[in-house]
Amino acid sequence: MNKGKIVSIHSFRGGTGKSNTTANLAAQVAMAGKRVGVVDTDIQSPGIHVLFGLDENKMGKTMNDFLHGTATIREIGFPIGDHVGGAEGLSKLAGKNLWLFPSSIRGREISQILRDGVDFNKLNEGLQTTISEFDLDYLFIDTHPGLNEETLLSIATSDVLIIILRPDNQDLQGTSVTVDIARSLDVPNLMLMVNKALPKYDFAEIKNEIEAKFNAPVAGVLPLSFDIAENASGDLFSLRYPDHQWSQALRGVAQAVLAVE
Amino acid sequence: MGSGESAYETVSGTGRRKIMNEDITRRLKESTMFNGLSDDALIALAEKTSLRKLAMGDVLMRKGDFGDSLFLIHEGWVKIVTTNSDGDELILNKCGPGESIGEMALLDQDPRSATVIALEDVEALELSRDVFEEILDQRPDVSFAVIRGYSRRLRFATNYIERAIDWTQKIAAGDYSFIDQTQPIIDQKNSNDNKAIQLLSAFFIMVRKVKEREDGLKKQLEKLTFEIDQVRRKQEFEEITGTEFYANLKEQAKTLRQKRTQQ
Repeated sequence: MNKGKIVSIHSFRGGTGKSNTTANLAAQVAMAGKRVGVVDTDIQSPGIHVLFGLDENKMGKTMNDFLHGTATIREIGFPIGDHVGGAEGLSKLAGKNLWLFPSSIRGREISQILRDGVDFNKLNEGLQTTISEFDLDYLFIDTHPGLNEETLLSIATSDVLIIILRPDNQDLQGTSVTVDIARSLDVPNLMLMVNKALPKYDFAEIKNEIEAKFNAPVAGVLPLSFDIAENASGDLFSLRYPDHQWSQALRGVAQAVLAVE
Repeated sequence: MGSGESAYETVSGTGRRKIMNEDITRRLKESTMFNGLSDDALIALAEKTSLRKLAMGDVLMRKGDFGDSLFLIHEGWVKIVTTNSDGDELILNKCGPGESIGEMALLDQDPRSATVIALEDVEALELSRDVFEEILDQRPDVSFAVIRGYSRRLRFATNYIERAIDWTQKIAAGDYSFIDQTQPIIDQKNSNDNKAIQLLSAFFIMVRKVKEREDGLKKQLEKLTFEIDQVRRKQEFEEITGTEFYANLKEQAKTLRQKRTQQ
């Protein structure tokens, strides 16, 4: 049953490029021939569906329906590989085994979930069902920034936790707490990813310093790039511009995920 | 200084030989402005040119002067200069046989944008605006050829601008590889497109300097210093883990992980 790995992507603060990284990581792992699911549990501000070219009208049932018990996980999985559309990067995913499990972006449903709270066992059962129903190798979870209850649930159930941070002291401070929490919750594989590093810094040094600070591996240091900002949310950057420095470093992180036993 | 006498000898064997007729038409044909003209149009133009002779240091035109004629260098070299803010002479370009100077003055009313000084004995053919306009009135074919010449140059300039945009984007992306690949095209000494070449040379010098500066900066990378407030870290950790919710979660997670490892 526990065949597939749950990989949570988290950041303490917003704006680290978490959703973009999650979508690109999932896509790279799917490109490597794995069966991959992406769950958007950032219920307060879901956005990853946009990166996969999905608009609200195309979305059917969402994770919210599942958490309310009004939909089965089967009904929610949206096969990205069958609906790649026109975007240049996305189109490379044609025929790949990648499913998106979106959250509802309808305000009323969001507030209802927040009011009711999410049960750990219900969420965990849902994730395990997702893995077994779709025979997944990896299930990526795009979490909400910060350490609220839903995020703690995601961390608690993860096999792999990737914490994304920018190389500044505010992010480092927040990350230190998340690292402590992840250890307290016995997450078996913890790795860090530094994003939006200014090119003027020595990336190798950043990696060494942060690894030493947290005693945890840094799977990649990715540059701040206006190219990514320009690409905005219309496409998967690492597939569209595979030779870009950001994309190369991101593939390194995907390799680190694939290397987890 | 210039004499204003006709440069063109209409009746062979009479008078002092100045410049051979064919030389003048050849010079006109070499210029970008007139190279599309038919032979008889060139002859009509050539008849209207006058000869200006200059010794080294003579000024052909001065920046700010009212300009009303075009000069075609027949013999010798001139320098095109301006002054910088300190009043020092700045050489913008040098022009030699076959090159034209001030041709815009035939069409617009603007003052001369630079000063032109002879670097040695120089013979230049002068075509004044009045004369030129007279020809344009009489010969539509000349008008068309001149317009065609201008549009060709405009197109050429546009091409260069497009390439410059492409290169600028490459520089912005930190890709300087085009410098090595593109170098040969700006070394074509015999090209008619001196201004474009000048611009490109300046551009390439700029790119090399930017690259040098960037390489220099890379060597002295700024060092980041990371600080974690350990007291705050502990406080925040305890705030989160001190709740009943967390205690339950930790217990549930523990059970879950035990189950997973058993499977």
